[in-house]
Amino acid sequence: MAHQVTSKDIPTKGEHLEKSKVAKLQFLAGIIGGGGLILSIIYLWFFGGVENPETPEHESSKAHGSYAFSWLFAVFFVLTIALGGCFWTFLHNLSNSGWGTSVRRMMENLGFVFPFLFIFCIPFLFPQVQQYLWEWMTSYNAAVDAHPEMSDKEALFHSSNTHDHLLAAKVFYLHPGFWLARFFTYFIGLGFFIWLVRKFSIAQDTDNNPGTKNLFAARKHSSWSMIVFGVTLTFLALDLVMALDFSWFSTMFGVYIFAGSALNSMAVLILTGIFLQRAGYLKNVVTQEHYHIMGKLCFAFTVFWAYVSFSQFFLIWYANITEETRYFLLRNTENWNLVSLSLVFMHFALPFLALLRSDVKKNQKFMIGLCCYILFMHAVDVYHMIIPERGPSVGLVVDHAPKLWLGGSWVGDIIALVIAVSGFLFFYLRNLTSAALYPHRDPRILESANLHN
Amino acid sequence: MSTKVRRVYGYLAEFKNASQLYKAAEKVRDAGFKKWDCYSPYPIHGLDDAMGIKRSILPYFVFIGGLTGFLTAITLAYTTQVGLYPTVVQGKPANIFTTAAFFPVMFELTILFSGFTVLFGLLALMGLPRWNHPIFASKQFSRVTDDKFFIAIEARDAKFSAEATKSLLDEIGGDNIELVEDDSE
Repeated sequence: MAHQVTSKDIPTKGEHLEKSKVAKLQFLAGIIGGGGLILSIIYLWFFGGVENPETPEHESSKAHGSYAFSWLFAVFFVLTIALGGCFWTFLHNLSNSGWGTSVRRMMENLGFVFPFLFIFCIPFLFPQVQQYLWEWMTSYNAAVDAHPEMSDKEALFHSSNTHDHLLAAKVFYLHPGFWLARFFTYFIGLGFFIWLVRKFSIAQDTDNNPGTKNLFAARKHSSWSMIVFGVTLTFLALDLVMALDFSWFSTMFGVYIFAGSALNSMAVLILTGIFLQRAGYLKNVVTQEHYHIMGKLCFAFTVFWAYVSFSQFFLIWYANITEETRYFLLRNTENWNLVSLSLVFMHFALPFLALLRSDVKKNQKFMIGLCCYILFMHAVDVYHMIIPERGPSVGLVVDHAPKLWLGGSWVGDIIALVIAVSGFLFFYLRNLTSAALYPHRDPRILESANLHN
Repeated sequence: MSTKVRRVYGYLAEFKNASQLYKAAEKVRDAGFKKWDCYSPYPIHGLDDAMGIKRSILPYFVFIGGLTGFLTAITLAYTTQVGLYPTVVQGKPANIFTTAAFFPVMFELTILFSGFTVLFGLLALMGLPRWNHPIFASKQFSRVTDDKFFIAIEARDAKFSAEATKSLLDEIGGDNIELVEDDSE
């Protein structure tokens, strides 16, 4: 058995990631993320213009609408990672876990990226973007403009488009003002709680009377934070992704997003741990036992993701209700079918079999590859959620000739993904360097360092 | 007084606490014994490493059990629902593309067969159920469910010897070393 870690092995001031070590990477990520964000905002704001369906300007608007979807795809992907970080933080505190004390700070850092990601969500507030992504807003505005004397619900009932009757029934929720209020609430609410919980943890590092005060405070506040997290994740997913098609609904959707978030944020945590250890940090407190447990959690959420996503498909497939089946019909038309099938075999079956053995979970080289693969497959999953709506939506707004795949639009997807991931990396590195890498004064740091499972 | 010849089960030694037991276990392991065991009132983390126990082969059985369940479910669902007697529900076709409908069956049978393999494989590997264990002949052993820790080295171990094993147990800090004799008929 390895050497027993004692308090002598824990530096009194804690381990800090030296800023100089990541400065280059962070600078690069900041340039790409920040520059890309500004250029994207300029592009999305100025070069779209609110469409007049009577005189469509096809190509430029198509590219613009297409990029709006790319942006949603990329930003939602990084949002799920940050949300997963919030989940693991709250869960760790709430379940009073001892094993992960030495990796808890990474979870907190990952979760605390969430409030910063708001700046990447700014384009979603532009009407020029909303008109493509959330057609219910277009329908709502058109109906209300056409019948200014009526209430919005009545106006929608009087709309020439009979599909708007469905919207009329949902107008209490799908209301632009309410949507806006919710949008801000998500970031303020969960952003506040993850900040608070992380603050307690960091305060413990420099507390002159290190005890359980901050630990217990973090645990106490994680309770309602967990509720806030659940509500935020579910409704954020509903408002950003499910509302791409307002006629579609799935009660499974929030859980589906949650399963993917927990999975890919755990993959990010494993990667962070491995890279930090390779850079010479966390040597005394993180062992292969931690990777074993985190690998097990990855495995669990691979299965859970499959369980939930299959349940969603299965119930819709069996019930065969027109409004519900549209989602899967669209995703099985033309070559999208291949993406749907690849999710079954490559998002579930392959990682499932790969993660079965315990020695594999302790093998760092293998886990680097597998975690990158999991992240890639999760990006495909998010792509599969969002992008199939693009052809019909952009087509409908621009020229009423929906096509399922817009040629060349994948370039925008990749650009947006690079920008969003760079921005994410910038804030993640910022969080990692802003505090000690693990809570060195936590009463259970030694228990965690000597973990044996 | 019975004069019957009794089979010697092995030596039993008592230890005061988990830490002593742990250190003693490492020494017994290093002495090369194979047929011996530690007894404690509660699970001790890392004791299996200290005892040098190899990983159980149970997971392989379970994998095969699960795979059997999975294949059974495919065969069962496919032959009955596609081959023998297709049940047409909501006009859905009965062919390989309706496997989605079989997934719950596949899932359940995989879990069921795995579960059974775990239970019965575990019992078989532990040699359970059994009526009695020779070590229960020891009076002091009843305290293992209360506050005492024990190591028992069986006589059928190749390295066992009446003198050397006793002195080894003595050396590594065992108290009340007792030669346990099998009193079952």
